[in-house]
Amino acid sequence: MEHRWGMAIDLDRCTGCEACVAACHAENNLPLSDPDQAEKGRAFHWIRVDRYYEGEFPDVRVKYMPVLCQHCEEAPCEPVCPVYATYHNPEGLNVQVYNRCVGTRYCGNNCPYSVRFFNWFEPEWPAPLELQHNPDVAVRPGGVMEKCTFCIQRIQRVKRDAKAESRPVADGEVQPACVQSCPAEAMTFGDLNDPESKVSRLAASGRATRLLEDLGAKPKVFYLQRAK
Amino acid sequence: MFLTAEFSDAPSVGAAIGALKACGFDAAQMDVFSTEPVELPEGLLERPSHMSLAAVVGAASLGVLAILFVRYTQYDYPLITGGMPLFSWWATGVIFYEFTMFGAIFTTFATFLVESGLLERHHAIPAPVLLAGRIHVRVCCDAGRAVTAMECLQRTGAVNVVES
Amino acid sequence: MGTTVEMRGDGLRSALWRPLNGFSRAYLLALAVAFLVGAWGLSCWGYQIVRGIGVAGIRRPTMWGFYLVNFVFWIGISHAGTLISAILRLTDAGWRKPVTRAAEAITVFALIIGAAFPIIHLGRPLLFFWLLPYPNSRLLWPNFRSPLMWDVTAISTYLTGSVIYLYLPMIPDLAELAQHATGWRLRLYRLLSLGWTGSDRQWHSLERAMKMMAGTILAVAVSVHTVVAWDFAMAVAPMWHSTIYGPYFVAGAIFSGIAALVVAMSVIRKVLHLENYLQPVHFENLGKLLLLMSLLWVYFTVNEHLTAWYGNSPAEMGVFGERVRGRFAPYFWFMVFCNFVLPFVLLSIRRLRSVATITIAGFAVLIGMWIERFLIILPTLSRPHLPAAAGFYTPTWVEISITASTFAAMVMFYLIFCKLFPIIAVWEYKHVSHG
Repeated sequence: MEHRWGMAIDLDRCTGCEACVAACHAENNLPLSDPDQAEKGRAFHWIRVDRYYEGEFPDVRVKYMPVLCQHCEEAPCEPVCPVYATYHNPEGLNVQVYNRCVGTRYCGNNCPYSVRFFNWFEPEWPAPLELQHNPDVAVRPGGVMEKCTFCIQRIQRVKRDAKAESRPVADGEVQPACVQSCPAEAMTFGDLNDPESKVSRLAASGRATRLLEDLGAKPKVFYLQRAK
Repeated sequence: MFLTAEFSDAPSVGAAIGALKACGFDAAQMDVFSTEPVELPEGLLERPSHMSLAAVVGAASLGVLAILFVRYTQYDYPLITGGMPLFSWWATGVIFYEFTMFGAIFTTFATFLVESGLLERHHAIPAPVLLAGRIHVRVCCDAGRAVTAMECLQRTGAVNVVES
Repeated sequence: MGTTVEMRGDGLRSALWRPLNGFSRAYLLALAVAFLVGAWGLSCWGYQIVRGIGVAGIRRPTMWGFYLVNFVFWIGISHAGTLISAILRLTDAGWRKPVTRAAEAITVFALIIGAAFPIIHLGRPLLFFWLLPYPNSRLLWPNFRSPLMWDVTAISTYLTGSVIYLYLPMIPDLAELAQHATGWRLRLYRLLSLGWTGSDRQWHSLERAMKMMAGTILAVAVSVHTVVAWDFAMAVAPMWHSTIYGPYFVAGAIFSGIAALVVAMSVIRKVLHLENYLQPVHFENLGKLLLLMSLLWVYFTVNEHLTAWYGNSPAEMGVFGERVRGRFAPYFWFMVFCNFVLPFVLLSIRRLRSVATITIAGFAVLIGMWIERFLIILPTLSRPHLPAAAGFYTPTWVEISITASTFAAMVMFYLIFCKLFPIIAVWEYKHVSHG
């Protein structure tokens, strides 16, 4: 049976520390994002932590919501790309093929979660940061769209190792950088096609919701929060 | 041989053509040259055309070709996008429509070029020089009928009948 | 310049052929300015290709900006010719005769300019040809499900059709011109007139072809701007995902097209001294059409905004608020003034209708319609579904330069066209008595 990768994020555990953001930057060769760029709207954060404030002082509640590519089953970003730079692979990942992208940015506009990022210029890393690049991950050229890939390089590595060892992929063996780095263990990643996997059980729990569910994109990131 | 006669208005041209037809000349033997379209009575100078049929055929064939091509490409390298089916009439209907229209446009223009004779390399018969306000009628006839033709033309008000 | 068109024949021909001869100082000045601004825009584009699309002001979440606005605007303007020419040809409105070629020329040039923008706005513009279906080493075909591919086919068809539709009625004029020209003009006209002899066979064929083309071009024109509208309507973005976009854009295109035609005709009339041929009655009729389209535009705008406001969906209300009360409000209300208030006053009050005021109304509509395209694209992108991702767009000098250069390019194309070919179809003008 094919894998169908999904994620569960427990919002009641999330502290908003943004370790996941930093880990993603390190793992995926993200271009630099400084305050200057952020002000111009050119910052890159494949996973970002949105803060929502509820209530009036002193009864303010902050909700932290890590938002990343939801790898929607019926992703609105996929059919609008004229060159098939983004499509749905058999394992349920919304794949971004950097080589094919010509930069029309329609996908970026059509993503309701605004999780897509565009390389407006050729990315640059001031020395010695270019030595920190992950060799498993492509460095994107200018003019190309990018977004969270569920650390597809880690998925590929685990699958390769499992195949070499003639065993199935174990639950929890694939850990994207964000999941791996979360100190509160708020994030879970796994195979939704396996009913026994942790992520499937969490997704089926009473606390599971999805973001912008009524848009019908069928996202695969489940946000767990206690019902009011 | 050709007889080219000059007229000054459409009714006299109409009369001339009527006279020539009465004398037994065929519409195919006659040509009217002018700097703007000449209003002649309905049916006097019939020029059959296949343009409508050609346009429909061209449009339909290009439309069908577009459908087959798109279908082929979508199955040739099947990539799923947004949960949509590989081939879907809704998702690509516009393309079929545009190609159908393109077929109509292209065939109309091509038929025009062919039917108007514009593409013929050899203009064996030199046409009269276009003058604003003057209409020329040219009759193709063999030498024996030339006198009859000449008489028809002059009877209806021709000026400057030239033989070539 | 070693080439002339001999002035012969009646007043119509001499009036229409006179502009073809010689270059007045004003003409050369206008051409030079247009060329310089156009060249500046082109060099800005070159700079953008080399440096990266980041020199434009676009950002996340507003990933489309001025370039898409210009794209929609110019494709809209291109509906001038076909709708005027085709619709009025099909309804046999005689007053259209002096106006058709000017309108069709606007169509072709606006299309060429508009069709450049999908390439200009690409992140990797030199790879634009990947949108074309051809066997390639990527073993990939383009994704025909994408509205951008629909754009490619629609605009290609429309451009081909418009060029043919402009060219066909020019053939008889070119043939006549060839008989009175010398030098390179003679060679040009003879080449382009394809050996037209003016025989009735050719006239029949031409008229039949033009009638067929009128119907087909109309069908294509409606579909083209609908397809451009669907670039936005097919997206799930708030206030883009609306069924009104197809008709809204087509109506807006006709609206801006008529406005462009009015402005162009006004200039031609003055500069080429064609007051006898482009008469106040033509402007009156175009003015009435402009008024009608203005009312239609208001109808669509009210439809779109009232339903959004009444429905009160949070995502849509975010966009609505920005447009009508927020950051974009000054532009919105200025647009309403330009597209509706001013044209309504100038065009519905008979005492105020004159060639000058109709031209002013047309000019205002052009400005208003550009702002309308801006307001369709930017507010929605600024306020996406997730509020945390909101952000606002500021254009840069690159985008402003390229935008300005498109207007210069239009002027330049038109100037060159008017110097090469008579702007009123001579054979069509005489064919019908005034009325």
